[in-house]
Amino acid sequence: MTVLSLQHVSKSFAATAALKDMSLAIEPGEIHAIVGENGAGKSTLIKIMTGVHQPDRGDILVGGAPVVLRGTQDAQSHGIAAIYQEPMVFPDLDVAENIFISNRNEGAVMNWRRMYAQADQIVAQLGVKLDVRRAASGLTLAEQQTVEIARALSLNVKVLIMDEPTASLSAHEVARLLTIARALKAQGVSVIYISHRLDEIFQIADRVTVIRDGSHISTRPIAEVTPDGLVHDMVGRAIDSFAVKTEASPHGAPVLELQGLGRAGVFRGIHATVHAGEVLCFAGLVGARRTDVALAVFGIAPATEGTIRIDGAPVTIRTPAEAMGHQIAYVSEDRRKMGLAMSLPIFANISLASLRKLMGLLGLIDRKAELAMAETYRKQLAIKAADTGVEVGKLSGGNQQKVMLAKWLETKPRILIFDEPTRGIDVGAKAEVHNIIRTLAGQGVAVIVISSDLPEVLALADRVLVMREGTQAGILPIAEATQERVIGLAAGHDIKGAA
Amino acid sequence: MHPQTLRILALAVALLATVLFFSTQIDGYLSARMFTRITTSAAVILPLAVAQAIVVITRNIDLSVGSIVGVVAYMTGDILGQFPDLPPVLVCVMAMGIGAGLGAINGVLVAWGRVPSIIVTLGTLALLRSFLVEYSDARTITTASLPAWLVDLPQANAFSVFGLDVRVTVVLALASAVVMGLCLSRLRAARRVFAVGSNPDAAVMAGINAGQVVFWSFVLSGALAGLSGFLFLAKFGNITVVAGMGMELKSVAAVVVGGVSVLGGSGSMVGVVIGTLLVDTIDNSLTRWELVSEFWRDALLGFLIMAAVTVDTVMSRQLGRLARKET
Repeated sequence: MTVLSLQHVSKSFAATAALKDMSLAIEPGEIHAIVGENGAGKSTLIKIMTGVHQPDRGDILVGGAPVVLRGTQDAQSHGIAAIYQEPMVFPDLDVAENIFISNRNEGAVMNWRRMYAQADQIVAQLGVKLDVRRAASGLTLAEQQTVEIARALSLNVKVLIMDEPTASLSAHEVARLLTIARALKAQGVSVIYISHRLDEIFQIADRVTVIRDGSHISTRPIAEVTPDGLVHDMVGRAIDSFAVKTEASPHGAPVLELQGLGRAGVFRGIHATVHAGEVLCFAGLVGARRTDVALAVFGIAPATEGTIRIDGAPVTIRTPAEAMGHQIAYVSEDRRKMGLAMSLPIFANISLASLRKLMGLLGLIDRKAELAMAETYRKQLAIKAADTGVEVGKLSGGNQQKVMLAKWLETKPRILIFDEPTRGIDVGAKAEVHNIIRTLAGQGVAVIVISSDLPEVLALADRVLVMREGTQAGILPIAEATQERVIGLAAGHDIKGAA
Repeated sequence: MHPQTLRILALAVALLATVLFFSTQIDGYLSARMFTRITTSAAVILPLAVAQAIVVITRNIDLSVGSIVGVVAYMTGDILGQFPDLPPVLVCVMAMGIGAGLGAINGVLVAWGRVPSIIVTLGTLALLRSFLVEYSDARTITTASLPAWLVDLPQANAFSVFGLDVRVTVVLALASAVVMGLCLSRLRAARRVFAVGSNPDAAVMAGINAGQVVFWSFVLSGALAGLSGFLFLAKFGNITVVAGMGMELKSVAAVVVGGVSVLGGSGSMVGVVIGTLLVDTIDNSLTRWELVSEFWRDALLGFLIMAAVTVDTVMSRQLGRLARKET
């Protein structure tokens, strides 16, 4: 008798299929791990199970009976709840209030004494020590998670979904969370455990399901699975759209060297050298802190340890202005927030980082030179717009990306960092952006590309630096970088010499 | 000691210090007459401060309360002019009903229209005032048109302690604060009010209907502003189109001075009562203090709001730092 099952569930957003014919059955009292690459459909799956999204097709069965989940509250009343990497607590309420906030079956009047007693009891069931009368505002992340789990228990959940619960926890806290998960299992609660960390999965799961590109790949008892096999299932996709680079391009002298670079509490121990004309790709799973390395190099969130060398000389970079002084450019992942002024025309966006060059008499902007500069880039990068007076907000994602690139190219960078350069843009524009990156490297620019898109990494990189949870898991020459190797390193399991 | 208890103690000390200060500045300040003057004046503000507190706890603000007081005071007076025989309790309930209806307009727009409350209530502040001008046709409600029980209400004494008279209106206003205070600490539904203000995203995740909570808090706010409008009508008797103007400033001052967090999620009615008394004591005393022009009263309210919020922000930052050090 399954406690929760999905049968042939499909879900699409606009033209993108997030889940395809997904079937999954959760047994009572089992710990069921779900693994998959970035974008495999895990988040959508959780949202379907918690009623945030409704499936386009297929059925959700609770205890064998089909149900429609109209929202989190509805899912809770069917015994399904979820906790997330970032816990959701109410800082101004105390622990006991936080635990019972969703409880609707109690009377209209609070019985504080009984509530504290019950809260104590639930916390004890989880085998942890926590003062239920203290305010939630000072709790550590791990304690906040405990509160959320206790909240789920107070609702008598049958299925508790844990989404990347250990991503921000210390080793000691992880051990405690795994203990809690086992305690839940002992009480007959099924736990759906979603994690990138294969070691945890092998410690705790009874069964493991692999999903890839929105489809169910396999569900097997943990005893029948090996880490190698799991990684193979996660990536086993044929690479079609991009050719894989097999050999590193020729390159020049070292330009940027990172020596033991770190930022307290965020990432540490990054060692890498980028040569002129070389493309170094940062790969890793979401939350591996790749962007934070870029932010440190660009001075937005400066490094607190280690050394950055440019042309062999150590430099300190505390602000983006200093980074730009060293001819570093950073093409951000978040076009809307950090990259472009959406309501301004194309030319004003392109000139934004190099206005000093355009300053004429009395410090006024030389509009003619500004337009000419923008026009050059419009032609060179094939930005699809009638002219450079068009508002950037009206362009497609790919063209916005090109405008942002133009802005940074005009600063004549020697070191260019791309963060997820093709996220959310279509295949055609993607190929164009890849060509631009290759051309730039060919001109001797030292390029860093951060990408969660593995085929993209393998198509662009001369070397691949794999990060895992804020540390450097490995650095591979392109000839040795296979999908399995990269994903294996990113998930904490190095597959040497695998196909 | 609990930070909340500490804050209430600090407020009480501030109130005492204020009274002592003015007693050295103003002749005959510590008198039964001054007590009555300040308490009856604070009685009109108190339901408004209670209303504001509930809305602020949900991480919103209601700037329209002053205009609601004006509209309710005028409409109630107008209706009483036509039907002088209405029973007092019904009149009071009717005033609160009109207020609740006006609050519901704010509530719908904020909760389901997803318009920020500061914009919605700034809009209704202006709209209701203009509505009042149109509705009243620039006429004035006078005591002559009101029934005797209402005109006499402000002078009606509930009881006396140590020779100090406690008026019926003061008891009514205090009752509203006490009832709301009990509701906030005892009712399960009130936990959701705090939850929505404390972390709106988490509230949705916890299956709380945040829109409903916000809507009803605005309705409640309107109803309490209606009660304030009724007390306003009783106290002044003469109601013009500017009735209640600027009272939103006093209500916000009372609430933030009383320790309700402007970021939502925390606050107590004891704090609101003392905050109201403090704000109104200063306000009333300034009019009698010869050293300072009474035109500075608004400036002082503004200063109090800023000082209270600044102290609050600095304190919570320090407390946060302490908490981090401990772990």
